[in-house]
Amino acid sequence: MPIIRTRDLQKVFRSIKRRPGVGGAISALFSREYEDKVAVSNVNVSLEAGEMVGYIGPNGAGKSTTIKMLTGILVPTAGTIEVAGIVPHAHRQQNAVNIGVVFGQRSQLYWDLPLRESFELLRAIYDVPRDRYRENMREFAEILDLERFLDTPVRQLSLGERMRGDFAAAMLHDPKIVYLDEPTIGLDVIAKEAIRDFICRVNRERGTTVILTTHDLADVERLCERIVLIDKGTVIYDGPIERLRTEYGTHRTLIVNLADSYPEFSIEGADLESREQNSVRLRFDRRTITAEALIRRVTERYSITDVAIVEPDIETIIRRIYVEGYSVQPATSPA
Amino acid sequence: MIATRPYRFRLEPYIEFAKKAIARESTYRFEVFTSIGSFVVRVYLLRMVWTALYARNAAPEGLPLHAIITYSTVALLMGLVLDIDQTRLLHDHLHDGTIATDFMKPINVPLYFFSDGTGEVLFHAALIFPAILLSLFLVHIDVPSAFVLVMFLISFILGYFVGFFINFILNCIAFWTLEISAAQLILTWVTDLFGGELFPLVFFPLAVQNIIFALPFAAMFSTPLLIYVGQIRPERYAEVIGVQVAWVVVLAGASWVMWRFGARRVVVQGG
Repeated sequence: MPIIRTRDLQKVFRSIKRRPGVGGAISALFSREYEDKVAVSNVNVSLEAGEMVGYIGPNGAGKSTTIKMLTGILVPTAGTIEVAGIVPHAHRQQNAVNIGVVFGQRSQLYWDLPLRESFELLRAIYDVPRDRYRENMREFAEILDLERFLDTPVRQLSLGERMRGDFAAAMLHDPKIVYLDEPTIGLDVIAKEAIRDFICRVNRERGTTVILTTHDLADVERLCERIVLIDKGTVIYDGPIERLRTEYGTHRTLIVNLADSYPEFSIEGADLESREQNSVRLRFDRRTITAEALIRRVTERYSITDVAIVEPDIETIIRRIYVEGYSVQPATSPA
Repeated sequence: MIATRPYRFRLEPYIEFAKKAIARESTYRFEVFTSIGSFVVRVYLLRMVWTALYARNAAPEGLPLHAIITYSTVALLMGLVLDIDQTRLLHDHLHDGTIATDFMKPINVPLYFFSDGTGEVLFHAALIFPAILLSLFLVHIDVPSAFVLVMFLISFILGYFVGFFINFILNCIAFWTLEISAAQLILTWVTDLFGGELFPLVFFPLAVQNIIFALPFAAMFSTPLLIYVGQIRPERYAEVIGVQVAWVVVLAGASWVMWRFGARRVVVQGG
């Protein structure tokens, strides 16, 4: 049985219609005309317990609206949601016990107080038994290396330290599900890696279900097997990352270092993507020509010193989907 | 599989919120010194002003110089607690959007703001004792009988709740506007003038007094203060305290309505 299930989930925001200018602003004070903006429509997603899913989409796609409905703070306009057997917005507080949240841009820690005191407050809020609290604290302090700054006021922590604190805070009450919204934004490589390790470990060892919203696709590639792509309020892809890669990763890039400057360089079956002095980038469709054949074609005509093949990364693939839209048979013409 | 317990209401988190608010306030030591310092300066200034005014004018009936100085000093002591906007946190959370994370916790959100404000107020209430000691160096404070003192305390606590709900309603406006500083400034002036904090309301012309007594501000400062200085006699206690209770009930009701509509705005419009 899925731990999260939404059916035909929809959210429409209604705002007063506004004409431009001062006159428009004044008439808006008295206007009864409304404008409906569909933020999320017909979202059907279901997650099994213990899954880690990347919830991806461009800005304004409806990601945080969906997360807000899942956390119970936003009431859907239509459709149903069930999270761990309950309807979140109808039982907000019970739902809150079941979930943990981390927002990269917003802290739930007490700004003026030492980190430790925020944890103690959360222990009281979630009624975590003392021994469980001690156990979790010991484990998190070890994995996230919190010990050094447990007694430092949160406002004096670096972003990396604060985020580690926020992660411990979200997991202290052993939530079944955690929602992570841009959890690694602004972090350096080492801090990012520490956070990713922590997410991985929590998912593996505790069976916590994780929904990860991010623009950093490296997070998703590292952590999630499955992604849900949302754009303009609707789910456009839901499945394994690998499938996206095979379906969309039709084009690769061959980088060739030429031994001489050939001003008129061109090759049939591949497009010249860019050229910097003697280094050229060739984009080719692996369904029409193999890398081997292409290299042969190049070496027949030109003398070269080095070659390299670049696989498309998930970021390039998703950027292409945002621009072109998702279809099962993607267009073969290069962008 | 992780076992989660069913949610049930417990008082513990709210006590912790209050404690954390006390801890937070105590980190701003400079605030403490400035509030005590400005208190002392204001006691001294008001003594000067009243002494000068009374030297040239006839005292109003029942308010000789020692009574008016007592009135002003006690008003300033009350102000240490009543002038605090204990629900400022609500406005802050609406302004920066943290209200969303508040709703993601298994807590009663308005009660959370109430507890936090109570903690803040309790911390500042502790300042009353050193403030009394300091003011005794500057002025003489009349002390009424124990019975009057008890009635004053009851009236003061009711006045506190009147102030609490007025602030809460004001901060709820931020659900729609996000910004309320202008409204807050007006409220401060109105409370200073019409609440009886700056001077007793008997100094207003009668017609104005009638309007003022139709507003809730007099129930904050004026009522407890007039009980203290004996301007309100024991036979009127039931009446004036009844009015205070009525204001608390009305303002609590209005607060509830504001909260309901405001919170609905968050859950429907996403804040």
